[in-house]
Amino acid sequence: MRLSELPAGHAFTVDRVLLSRETGKRLADMGFTAGRRGRVVRKQYLGGPLQVEILGGSVLIRRAEAAGIEVVQGGAA
Amino acid sequence: MSGTWAPGKARRAARGWDPRDGQAASPEGGPASERPLLIALAGNPNAGKTTLFNALTGAHHKVGNYPGVTVEKREGLLVHRGRSIRVVDLPGVYSLTAYSADEVVARDFMLREKPDLIIDVLDSTNLERHLYLCLQLIELGVPVIGALSMTDEARAQGIEIDADRLGARLGLRCVKTARGAGKDELLDAVLAAAAEGFPAAREPDYGTELEAVIARLVALIAADPVFTATMPPRWLAIKLLERDDVARAALRDGRAVGGTAVDAPHAALSQIEALLEESFAWIAGRFGRDAEIVVSERRYAYVHGAVAEALRKTAEAGFVRSSKLDAVLMSPAWGLPVFLLVLYGVFKLTFSLGEYPMAWIESGVAWLSGRLAAALPEGLFRSLVVDGVVAGVGGVLSFVPQIVILFFCLAFLEDSGYMARAAFLTDRFLHRFGLHGQSFLPLALGFGCSVPAIMAARTLKSRRDRVATVLAVPFMSCGAKLPVYVLLAGAFFPRNPAAAIMAVYGVGVLLALASSLVWKRTVLRGEPTPFVMELPPYRLPTMRGMLWQVGEKAWCYLKKAGTVILAASVLIWAITVFPRAPEGTAPDAALAQSFAGRIGRAIEPLVKPLGFDWKIGVAAVTGFAAKEVVVSTLGILYRAEDGESGEGLREALRRDAGMTPLVALALMLFVLVMPPCLAALAAIKAELGARWLAFEVAYLVALSWLVAFLVYRGGPLLGLKAVV
Repeated sequence: MRLSELPAGHAFTVDRVLLSRETGKRLADMGFTAGRRGRVVRKQYLGGPLQVEILGGSVLIRRAEAAGIEVVQGGAA
Repeated sequence: MSGTWAPGKARRAARGWDPRDGQAASPEGGPASERPLLIALAGNPNAGKTTLFNALTGAHHKVGNYPGVTVEKREGLLVHRGRSIRVVDLPGVYSLTAYSADEVVARDFMLREKPDLIIDVLDSTNLERHLYLCLQLIELGVPVIGALSMTDEARAQGIEIDADRLGARLGLRCVKTARGAGKDELLDAVLAAAAEGFPAAREPDYGTELEAVIARLVALIAADPVFTATMPPRWLAIKLLERDDVARAALRDGRAVGGTAVDAPHAALSQIEALLEESFAWIAGRFGRDAEIVVSERRYAYVHGAVAEALRKTAEAGFVRSSKLDAVLMSPAWGLPVFLLVLYGVFKLTFSLGEYPMAWIESGVAWLSGRLAAALPEGLFRSLVVDGVVAGVGGVLSFVPQIVILFFCLAFLEDSGYMARAAFLTDRFLHRFGLHGQSFLPLALGFGCSVPAIMAARTLKSRRDRVATVLAVPFMSCGAKLPVYVLLAGAFFPRNPAAAIMAVYGVGVLLALASSLVWKRTVLRGEPTPFVMELPPYRLPTMRGMLWQVGEKAWCYLKKAGTVILAASVLIWAITVFPRAPEGTAPDAALAQSFAGRIGRAIEPLVKPLGFDWKIGVAAVTGFAAKEVVVSTLGILYRAEDGESGEGLREALRRDAGMTPLVALALMLFVLVMPPCLAALAAIKAELGARWLAFEVAYLVALSWLVAFLVYRGGPLLGLKAVV
């Protein structure tokens, strides 16, 4: 499933980033790499951005970018 | 000391690229000690870089911009054990891609200026993320020392770091620093590295398969003298694999990244390109994702290995606990109301509190011009000094208190971490129009004054978003436009002037959003900038840090007032007094005869379709200096006794047969959209450059004409004349 589909509060493990070029690279640079575990903290209403905990920090990403990250639900640390 | 360092010079020679080739002083032996060491301070945003920079350099630093970009460059000089050291603070970045100005600045600095050493500030509470950048710094071929910051916070979180072990694993020296402590150890490490001829850190390992690909690329690149002279071949190979556009362009036109074009033919080009395409395909097939992603993953894997060895967690922290504050400030129900309240507070503080010092400065300027007027003999020189220089620069100076207060608020919001929360809340709405969550604050500030608003857009990291935001700011009716609205609405919409003024403000907002949408589809087209930003933890900003930032910005603004704005004020003054009218000419006749008056008459055919006569044309021309001037110009031209205060001018305007409520409405919208005052134009030029300034002026002139035309000509069709 895609990260954008995950409800707030759920943990996930990154499978892979489907995007490439600038957006994909940015996500990978921020720690969205295969096997990395994280958690969706909250989602802004009306399709707004997500707050995701990953790699020891919090990252804000847009719904569209989250839709480009394939994740497996679960894997909470 | 770890035994892993190869002797620096030999090691760099083995890599075929020495960062200090071509420098005057020799890195070995005596002569080098004459030259100050050049140290670059690098690190992620929020790593504690600014704190360390301030601790290292104290008050001895200067601020400027990197050439060609509005990325701030901080530089300081210090002396440690008799050796002078120049420290340059690089912008805080997470990576070194070609996608953002900050990152390009950071890496170009390494390649062009070839510093002796990089101090990389590493947040001990989140080493993995911070070491990711460290690896990329090592690859630039400049020796690196790791400064482990926030070690006390890390200890509180149960994280113990073995700095020696980490250093041994990465092949670089790591020094613990915390809240200013460890400064001397760090500088000692710098001098020790200098004594050893700056040993290079160990190149990160990308794993057998990727290393094989890199090795083949490096072999081709290293065979080409064009590249080996100016950048590390391995760095270029890795950047090419990361699909770095700048590196790719450098490959194509034989131009070194950050360097000048080289004419030498490089035969290896087609071979390198072929191998690169082949490698992309192979990596995509082998790993199931694109090469640029794989490179990042391998880098993180290498970091993970190093951290696993050197870091011990005494308490299992798991995920960072979400801040209780965020439960309110970022919540769907409370986030937005609180944000609007914060915004209102900033607004109120800036423009209400700022009013007092502003009034003092204004009365000071009035006093000064009064004294000068009395002291100087009647004539051209007095007019130049009083009406040109003092009035022009004084008007600009009067904004300083507001700018200081505003930037103080901004520094607080930024340093505390709230700005990122605000972006989270507003991004959804603004993104639709091609803006960014962080555009909200600059746009809102535009209602007060465009100058600080345009400067506030610096908080936006992406160039595209910054351009869109700055260009949209002038649509927010600034405080100086209000007197014009008050005058016209009072004269022509006496039943409900407030509603008319509100409508004008509303039209401004709509035009800002519509224009952003148009720019997004035209001049600012291209892939939308990704919204991927770290949410920094809340921190209490230090007074010293904030004052520092505010002081720098206020100083930049003052310098501008002394140069660009002074020159422009004198120019505007000159066109209103030349050519000189004979003695005893009435002020209105004199103004009509001046260049400004002639320009007004010359453009009359252009403003005629809008229902304006030449007087409005003149007022618009003088309005370039400042929007309040529109009212005083109209005051002179309509021979109203009491200029700005209104009643007389209002009557005079109403008596003018050409002025109807419809024309007044068209004029209000014309003033709303026409290019902002000189100070704002100077700010746009400083932030975006002359080309965007020209675009903005042309766009606003065209749009202001169009809007006024549509109202004046279209109004009657909608039956608006009935308002008369």
